Amino acid sequence: MAVIDRSRDLGPFVPGPDDDLLICRCEEVTKGEIRKAVHEGMFTMTEIRRYLRSGMGLCQGQTCSRLVKGIVARELKISPAALEPATSRAPMRPVEMTVLGKEGKARS
Amino acid sequence: MKRYDLIVVGAGPSGLSAAIEAAKCGMAVAVFDENARPGGQLFKQIHKFFGSKEHKAKIRGIHIGEELLAEADAAGVEVHLDATVTGMYLDKEIVVRQDDAMCHYKGDSIVIATGAAENMVPFEGWTLPGVIGAGAAQTMMNLYGVKPGDRVLMLGSGNVGLVVSFQLLQAGCEVVALVDAAPRIGGYGVHASKVARCGVPFYLSHTITKAEGTDCVTGVVISQVDGSFRPVAGTEKHFDVDTICIAVGLSPMSQLLKMAGCSMEDNPKRGGQVPLIDGDGQTSIDGVFAAGDVSGIEEASSAMIEGRMAGISAAAYLGYCSEAEKDEKMARFQGDLDSLRQGMFAPANRGKKIEKTDEGIPVSQSLLTKGYVGDDEITAFPGFVKKKGIHPVIECTQNIPCNPCQDACPRHCIRIGENITALPAVEEDSECIGCGMCVASCSGQAIFLVEEDEGAGTARITMPYEFLPLPEKGDGGTALSRSGEVLCPASIVSVKTAKAFDHTALVTMEVPLEMADRARFYKAQAENRKEAR
Amino acid sequence: MKNTADVIIVGGGIIGCATAYYLAKSGVRDILVLEASPYIGNGGSSRNGGGVRQSGRDPRELPLAMWGIQNLWPGLSEELGVDTEYTQEGNLRLGKTPAHLKILQGLTDRAVACGLEVRMIDGQEVRSINPFLTDEVIGASWCPTDGHANPLTTTLGFYKKARELGVHFVTGIPVTGLKKVKGRLRKVVTPEGVFEGEKVLVAAGYESRAILDTVDIDVPMVKSKVEALVTEAEPPMFKQMLGTAEADFYGHQTKHGSFVFGGHTGLEACEKDNGTPISTSQGAPCTCRGIMKYFPALSQAKIVRSWAGWLDDCIDGVPVMSPVEEVPGLFIACAFTGHGFGIGPAAGYSLAKMILGEETPVDLEPLRYNRFIPEI
Repeated sequence: MAVIDRSRDLGPFVPGPDDDLLICRCEEVTKGEIRKAVHEGMFTMTEIRRYLRSGMGLCQGQTCSRLVKGIVARELKISPAALEPATSRAPMRPVEMTVLGKEGKARS
Repeated sequence: MKRYDLIVVGAGPSGLSAAIEAAKCGMAVAVFDENARPGGQLFKQIHKFFGSKEHKAKIRGIHIGEELLAEADAAGVEVHLDATVTGMYLDKEIVVRQDDAMCHYKGDSIVIATGAAENMVPFEGWTLPGVIGAGAAQTMMNLYGVKPGDRVLMLGSGNVGLVVSFQLLQAGCEVVALVDAAPRIGGYGVHASKVARCGVPFYLSHTITKAEGTDCVTGVVISQVDGSFRPVAGTEKHFDVDTICIAVGLSPMSQLLKMAGCSMEDNPKRGGQVPLIDGDGQTSIDGVFAAGDVSGIEEASSAMIEGRMAGISAAAYLGYCSEAEKDEKMARFQGDLDSLRQGMFAPANRGKKIEKTDEGIPVSQSLLTKGYVGDDEITAFPGFVKKKGIHPVIECTQNIPCNPCQDACPRHCIRIGENITALPAVEEDSECIGCGMCVASCSGQAIFLVEEDEGAGTARITMPYEFLPLPEKGDGGTALSRSGEVLCPASIVSVKTAKAFDHTALVTMEVPLEMADRARFYKAQAENRKEAR
Repeated sequence: MKNTADVIIVGGGIIGCATAYYLAKSGVRDILVLEASPYIGNGGSSRNGGGVRQSGRDPRELPLAMWGIQNLWPGLSEELGVDTEYTQEGNLRLGKTPAHLKILQGLTDRAVACGLEVRMIDGQEVRSINPFLTDEVIGASWCPTDGHANPLTTTLGFYKKARELGVHFVTGIPVTGLKKVKGRLRKVVTPEGVFEGEKVLVAAGYESRAILDTVDIDVPMVKSKVEALVTEAEPPMFKQMLGTAEADFYGHQTKHGSFVFGGHTGLEACEKDNGTPISTSQGAPCTCRGIMKYFPALSQAKIVRSWAGWLDDCIDGVPVMSPVEEVPGLFIACAFTGHGFGIGPAAGYSLAKMILGEETPVDLEPLRYNRFIPEI
């Protein structure tokens, strides 16, 4: 696990021409919001997700994580491979409460 | 708690292969798949596979799927469909949604074979209805018989983009352009050629800058990009489309492995987040294996072999086969895998600029940038010959592991040799009988029969043809060049179909003699074609 | 990296971040926060159910909770520059049986004695506040000044603002021990080296116990793993924080529209994990059944995610928040026993006062570190 000094100076946030491009479709998070969040101290995918809700929608980041990773990495001036992706959790697909609460019999 | 010897998650090529291998060793195996039909991506793959006989070359993906299912059934594997595995927990327990309830199962061993999902690339308007993944388009067409749209632009020139573009044409869509930000086409040249000779223009070093429309896609703008992939002002090109297909790569769906706590790595060469696995395919959790695209993006042929490796490893892990038996099989599987991972598109060669084939022939740059081999370039390749009488002309110009053509010819006119990545050559002293088996067997649709009649001043070209409606003998139309350019009038001399051709029709057209080396596709009279490009 | 600071805070959850913020706001310049995990707020701070409540609290911590809700929470979003989603629309603690009502009455009486506005209401009044509850609910305790907020944005908001004010945060750096130098606590030991501070606050959840052990201080707490889940966004239904006398579920509807619920299987104290808190296969289903007993209306809502987190359960149910006289320079804030979020800002504020040697807004003597004496 890498030690990350959060006081690292990233320079000022410079607005970009495509900051209003939607990146997380499910939660409607834009590129600019992600870039700005990095400058506010969110240096990891997990913090970005908790801060902005990107990756918390119905697809749980299937569509956007890779895109968010690229944006965050660029802002931090590091390789995307150095950014640890956020955790994966059950259920892998959305399940209705009534179904999730029903214990089924294992079948052959 | 119901406990199996082996649980496999995913009934695609790698999952079924793992299940079969394990069941053959006597294990009680259950496969769970969230879809209503098994086979994973195989049932969308209507094209013929590459490789050699062992790799199921020249067989269409859908049939390979059927074969695997039959084999699994015969081996006693339980295949549960409409069964979504919602989580993998401690103690090798999974929870599966079946019939509106949650069922718990445990496995003494587990193989995760959940495959991969499509990547996206954002551009202005990318969230409009009409922007879909190429895989999604393929599902719509090949599983549900639904046309994704009428006018399509494809982004991405890897094999997925190329193959799906061809399938869109087969489904009756118009593919207005095939675009890629890279300077060279990423997929097999033969896949590109199939599309290019239908007249689809390739725009390399271009990217989409905008999808237009308010409620749905009505148009698209692409721009050339510079060396840093930034759009160059003033190079915009506009197309009227209702569909934009995105084929920019796949990412492994490794969430179950991550959730259970497997050690993962971010490996760009494997497509993203993949589990760390040993030579047996075992992850950092004892008894949990991974196979297929989930452990690294490749293709179905390698997925099947990896599945078998995981299956035999799980069997050995639980004492269902001896270490010696496992080692022997693993060595064989590894050999099969290695022979697939050769040639110009080998994983080891990714990113490299290959200038010459193994034989020393300059690789066609036109093929890499425009999708077709130049008329002047084709003559350098060993598959291109000029002979008296009917003979095959093989326009396969890149070293890829593939050899069904060699096995197809009853007269041994075609030679590849021991190394299946070698370029096919037409034997000097061979006597072609014009049966057309080579034409139908070439998964790349790169083989033609040519018969020149100097006296009559005509030439007859026999081509593989996979479009409906089939032309009929006597029809008149136009012949197109490798680049899809209208060349000359052409008349249909024969249309042959046969069970052995497996739905590839052999269409023979007659063209003026001087077009013998250039005419490579046929368009019926009724359709409007673009003239020169 | 500089290895000294005026104040070193061990733990980057809401307690650590809030304390750092309030210290910086008071003008302290040289503050270092060391977080063991790769992420700020990775423990209970990002896993809890978002309750900001006074009702149901032990009288020893109730005054602090009340102070926080009256003085800090209402202006917090503006102060931190994030949307904490603080919603003060009350808390219903539901009962279905006379036995439940007896429990709730007891809690209510205790709270009223501390000056909290809370009362028992009947089933009819419950449904007038929240019409989605089944007729099976026969009563509830109702505290109109309770509410809920978003623990993720709140915790990260404190971090963001503290960082803006110059607090130095480092993640991925576990603290393995503390050392006194000439009678005062000065050294904080990590694999990256030793840091020295004038004052040291240990606010590291359950891990505080092992750290404090190295200077021979013990906080008697145990771990238990609890689970929560979240649904997709639903149309707005109700704004209250909910709980039950039976503690079979608790939760609320967020600003986003999704419902966040926690539950109780009864097996929490014996759970294991694989290095990170992993959900069990039974936790989420159990919570769903608990919810549907009260909210049949939610039976079709889709659960998109479930998660788990470790609680630091103090032996007597309330946190330790105090200076440690026998180790001058040491301050402790841990063992929040699963209800540290709502009280977090007030705790941070008070700890900042404590560290500065100033008076805390309410008396925190009952939460001192050396309160643990046998019953006889």
